[in-house]
Parts: sequence; C-alpha cells; structure tokens
Amino acid sequence: MESKDNIALSVRDLKTFFYTNNRCNKAVNGVSFDVEKGKTLCIVGESGCGKSVTAATIMQLLPTLSRIEEGEIKFRKNDEIINIEKLEKNGKEMREIRGSDIAMIFQDPMTALNPVYTVGFQISENLKYHTNLNRKQIREKCISLLSDMGIPLPEKRVDEYPHSYSGGMRQRAMIAMAMACNPKILIADEPTTALDVTIQAQIFELMDKLKKENDTAIILITHDMGVVAELADNVAVMYMGNIVEAGTADDVLRRPTHPYTKALLESVPVLGRGKNQDINPIKGSTPDPYNRPIGCQFAPRCNWQTESCDIMPEISQINETHQVRCHKYEQFFEKYNEKRNSKIT
Amino acid sequence: MTTYILQRLFIFFPMLLVISFLVYSGLELSPGDAVSHMISPELASTITAEQLDAMREAYGLNQSFITRYWIWLTSMVQGDMGYSMAGGVAISEIMAKTVPATLELSMVALFFSTILGCSLGVISALKRGSGTDNSLTVAGMAGVSIPEFFFGLVAILLFAIELKWLPVGGRLLPHYETLWDRIPNIVLPSLVLALMMTAGAMRYARSSMLDVLAREFITTARSKGMPEWRVNILHGFRVALTPVVVLIGFRLPLLIGGSTIIEQVYQWPGIGSMFIRSVRASDYPLVMTISLMYVFVVLTASLVIDVLTALIDPRVRLGKE
Ligand SMILES: Nc1ncnc2c1ncn2[C@@H]1O[C@H](COP(=O)(O)OP(=O)(O)OP(=O)(O)O)[C@@H](O)[C@H]1O
Ligand SMILES: [Mg+2]
Repeated sequence: MESKDNIALSVRDLKTFFYTNNRCNKAVNGVSFDVEKGKTLCIVGESGCGKSVTAATIMQLLPTLSRIEEGEIKFRKNDEIINIEKLEKNGKEMREIRGSDIAMIFQDPMTALNPVYTVGFQISENLKYHTNLNRKQIREKCISLLSDMGIPLPEKRVDEYPHSYSGGMRQRAMIAMAMACNPKILIADEPTTALDVTIQAQIFELMDKLKKENDTAIILITHDMGVVAELADNVAVMYMGNIVEAGTADDVLRRPTHPYTKALLESVPVLGRGKNQDINPIKGSTPDPYNRPIGCQFAPRCNWQTESCDIMPEISQINETHQVRCHKYEQFFEKYNEKRNSKIT
Repeated sequence: MTTYILQRLFIFFPMLLVISFLVYSGLELSPGDAVSHMISPELASTITAEQLDAMREAYGLNQSFITRYWIWLTSMVQGDMGYSMAGGVAISEIMAKTVPATLELSMVALFFSTILGCSLGVISALKRGSGTDNSLTVAGMAGVSIPEFFFGLVAILLFAIELKWLPVGGRLLPHYETLWDRIPNIVLPSLVLALMMTAGAMRYARSSMLDVLAREFITTARSKGMPEWRVNILHGFRVALTPVVVLIGFRLPLLIGGSTIIEQVYQWPGIGSMFIRSVRASDYPLVMTISLMYVFVVLTASLVIDVLTALIDPRVRLGKE
C-alpha cells in the first residue's frame, strides 16, 4: 500500500499520549490509515475519541504536554517520502511542510483568525514563507484567492479585518489561507460546526470543488453523518484512540461491521429519511480517558461483549478496502445482514 | 477615529472642572487658613485681631467660597497661577523649575519600566513553568510589595556610598552640563522608580501573553509554517500588548505618587518635593496649583492611553466589538 504513488499520506500505528498530573492519557493509541490523492477521508467518532489529536499530530501542532510515542507518519512529497514524526517539532523542515504541503482549517473561524491583522495580511503570510512571489504578486494572489472562495469585492475585502467578516466569510478566508500554496493535503477539523446549516453546505461544496480542481487529499473530521454520506470517499470510525472500522464510504455506511459503527449510525438522524426514523442514542458514555478498559475499548457499552473482548482485537480485513477491529465481526455482520434481508422480503 | 478623539475630549473638560472644584473644596475644609500659618508663633501673641482681618482682606480670604473658587479658576485658565504665599514667588516660576525635572524623571522611569516589564513578562510567559519564569515571578512579587523608598535607600547605600559608582542625589541643571554629565544623576532615581512599575508591567505582560498564546489563532499562525519568533511576537505579543498598554496607563498616577517619594529620597528638585514642602507650609495657592496639575496629568494620561489603545486595536479604532 505504502509504495503506491496515489497515497499522499500514510499513518501507521500512531500513538500520541498526553501527560497531565503524572497520568497518561492515551489519546491516540495505534491508529493506521492512508489518505489518497484527490480523495476525502472522513474521520468520525464521539467527542473525545482522539480525532483532533490525530490531526494535530500529523501537523506536529501538539500542545507541550503531549508527544508522539510510536508509529510512522509518511508524507509523499513529489517522489520523496518524508517521515513527519522524525522531524523536529518547530524545525525548518516541519515548517516547510506546514502551510505549504499540508494545510489545516479549524473549527471556529471566529477565533482562528488574528483580530489585529487584515485578512489579506494573514493570507499573505503563507505566500511569503512558501513562495518566491514579490509583494505585488502576493497581493494579487490574495485577491484572486478570496475571489475564488466566493467573497464579494475581494479588492476591498482583502484590507478588512476579520471582525468585519461574517462567520461564513471568515471560514472562506481560512480556506483561502489554507489553499494559498496549493497543499497536497488539507486537514479540516469540524470546519462547519460553528456555522449555520446553509453556509455549511456552501463551505463543503467549496472544499469539494477545490479537491477536484487541485487533486488535494482531504482529511475531514466531522460529527455529521449526512456530510460523510455526501462527501466521503473513505471513512474511518474512531473510538477511544483507535480506528475501529475503516473502508470506503459504501463499506462503512451501508455495511457497518462494528457494533460501535452501527450504534453511531443509529444515534443520529439522517436527512431525508423522514420523521419516523428510529434514533437510539448509544447506551452508556465514553469511559474516563485516564482509566481505559483493557482490551476492546467499546466492550463495556457493547451488546456483543464476551470474555474474548478483554483482549484488544486485531484488525481484520473483510475485503480489500474494508477493515474492522472486532472479535465478533463475522457473527455481527451475518446477523445484521440477515435482519436487513428479512426486512426486505 | 476623529470622532472618537472628540468624544473623549468632550468628557475630558467637564471632568477637569468637577475635580478642580473638589480640590478647592477639600482645601477649604482643612483646618486653619493661610494667614494663621504665615505668622510665626512669637509674633502670634503680639498681633491684634484687626491686623489679622486686614491681612485676610488683603489676600482676598474673606470673600465667599464660590467667588474665590471662580477667581482662582479664571486666573488659572488665563495662565496666571498667582503667587506662592511663602516668599511671594510667582507660582509659574516655581513650576517652570520643577515640572521639567519631574517629567524627566517619570518619563525615563516609564520608558525603562515598559521596555523591561514587557520583555521580562514575555520571556516569562514563553518559558512558562521554567526556573527563569519562577524566579522572575518571585522577583516581581518582591518588586510590588517592597516600598520604593526602601529600594531607594538600599540603592543609595550600595551604588552611591559603598561602590561610589553614582551620585547620592540631586539633579544637574540642563544649561550647566552636557546631557552626558547629567545621566549619572538620573540613573538611580529613575531605575528605583521604574522598579515598582516594572514588576506590575511584567505581571500584566506575562498573564496577557499566556492568555493570548492559548488562543486558537496562534495555532493557525503556527500551522502556516512560520518561525516561532514570528508566531510569538507578531501574532502573540502584538495582541497581548493592548491590555498591557491600558494597564500601564492606569498605573501612571502611581508613577506620579511614587515620584513624590523618590524625589524626597534623592533630593530631586521636582514637583513632588515642592508639593510636600507646600503642604507643610499650608501654602494654599501652590498646593492647589500642583494638585490641579496632577489631576490634569492623570486625565491627559488616560486620554492618551485611550487613543493609543484605539490605534493598536482595530476593533476599538473602527468602533465595533
Ligand atoms: N490540550 C489537551 N490537554 C490535555 N488533554 C487533551 C488535550 N487535547 C485533547 N486532550 C485529550 O485527548 C483526548 C482526545 O481529544 P480530541 O480533542 O482529539 O477529541 P476529538 O475526537 O477531537 O473530540 P471532539 O469531537 O470533541 O473535538 C481526550 O481524552 C482529551 O481529553
Ligand atoms: Mg476535536
């Protein structure tokens, strides 16, 4: 898999731990996934399962109390493979990748832009550090980026401060900033949670367009299953620091094979399925991250739990793309599909 | 921006008026009047009540309170500050001698304390939890809690008397010496005066900086691949600066109060020394003029701070939140 040319980023057995008050929080505990060029990988999962930490690890933007414990992050830059985890955190090589090859947009555009600099200035910083353009060219590029993002009157807007932008416009400006140097990978951590629904759709449309035009690989972190169904090529379901199920969007959404994936899918309303759909919140709540269960992390909340679940299940390959981390997945899959079949007949 | 400044000025003058009235009333309430202080105890027994009244009449002290206030205020506005009761020297002359000395001292102290306080605060914040941070915090606490006259005396003992590096006190007059010759005299008083302000500025700068460094736009800045100094200074400190400037501004009155004491310790011929002397002598015209000037300085300082804040922060400048 790793040697394939179309893989932009390959993460293997990544572990990132937090150390607070002499206790260890295994926030990301052995995560592996690949991101293909021009494809969108959605990472989903309940709050606190380690999605943001995974993203921050890839960018080496972790807070001081945490560190990469183990694993590999291989980034393909043209024909070269760079091991990101080996680079110094704020060293020159890492900084060259940040903002130019891998860019990130954040959850809340209200707080992610610096209030004392104009939007144009903040976009231009990216270009200043990663391109050889002169000041005039940088300014023109900023304006054209803003206009690409659908911001009206970009020549005027470029000199305005973030506070005179609306939330949706700020997120567009953030995307303009992230896309300034045509990154190979764009990481978006819940980019629309802070925005209202109509603007959400516009932002996703924009991201999808950029992905198609520039062959950018996107890692999209979200809670919204509707968004996943709409945008994802591949999906990874995370629970307590592990990926419990991964595959193409079809694999995961239509043939969920892990009890957690199924529970997660049933816990959210799906747009267009009407009012009478069953919504079952996942029973119980996520365990204390400092006091995690041994073995399968989901076992205490799982209807299928047996003694074998005291040992962490290995990853099983269902087909070429579809993977699951569950001891009982075969029975589960059969039963679930039986039920579906019987429903249909 | 212009309207903003005009708005501020609109509050400025009424405020000055109200406070000048309060100053005047305050002095009216203090026991004894000028005449009773002008007469030496030996003469007091020989002087008659009529003679006293005549003196009061001559100084205009028997007119109504409001009239006296009005006379005082109008002549003040016209630049006529009257005469000191002790020695009958024109107050404007006294001011011309003392104000530059005090301004010199406070401005040098303000400069030192702002530069020093901000840089130490930022270093402290960036190295949070380290040995440097902890020792700076302890030093800052000491700086805030130990009174400045104590520092002043210790500094004299150490640098002037023990090591003989710097003069004990006093100030050289500008037209006597070159700038270079005058520097040794101002070093001790200004540094001691700056010390207290530095400790405060450092604590503000540290907490403001820590606050800002935890904000999300810092991560954004870092995610653009910029070097750490740019993230910390251009994005961090630039935002952290606004509250620090405001807080230093609020502490300007402290600087003035502090300079009164330091001027005493170092025999600096400034307005603070003069103020203490005039209060002791119940030299009313002088006390009032100096008080009013303090008020004027504090109000002007806060006006300047408001305008500076606006210049630094576009959200204030453009009248939006
Ligand atoms: N700065 C931090 N300091 C200490 N612990 C942290 C920090 N950031 C995250 N964690 C811990 O790491 C774990 C994973 O958190 P993470 O932010 O990745 O969750 P998430 O999946 O992004 O959740 P959400 O959907 O709420 O954003 C949690 O247990 C959290 O408490
Ligand atoms: Mg998150």
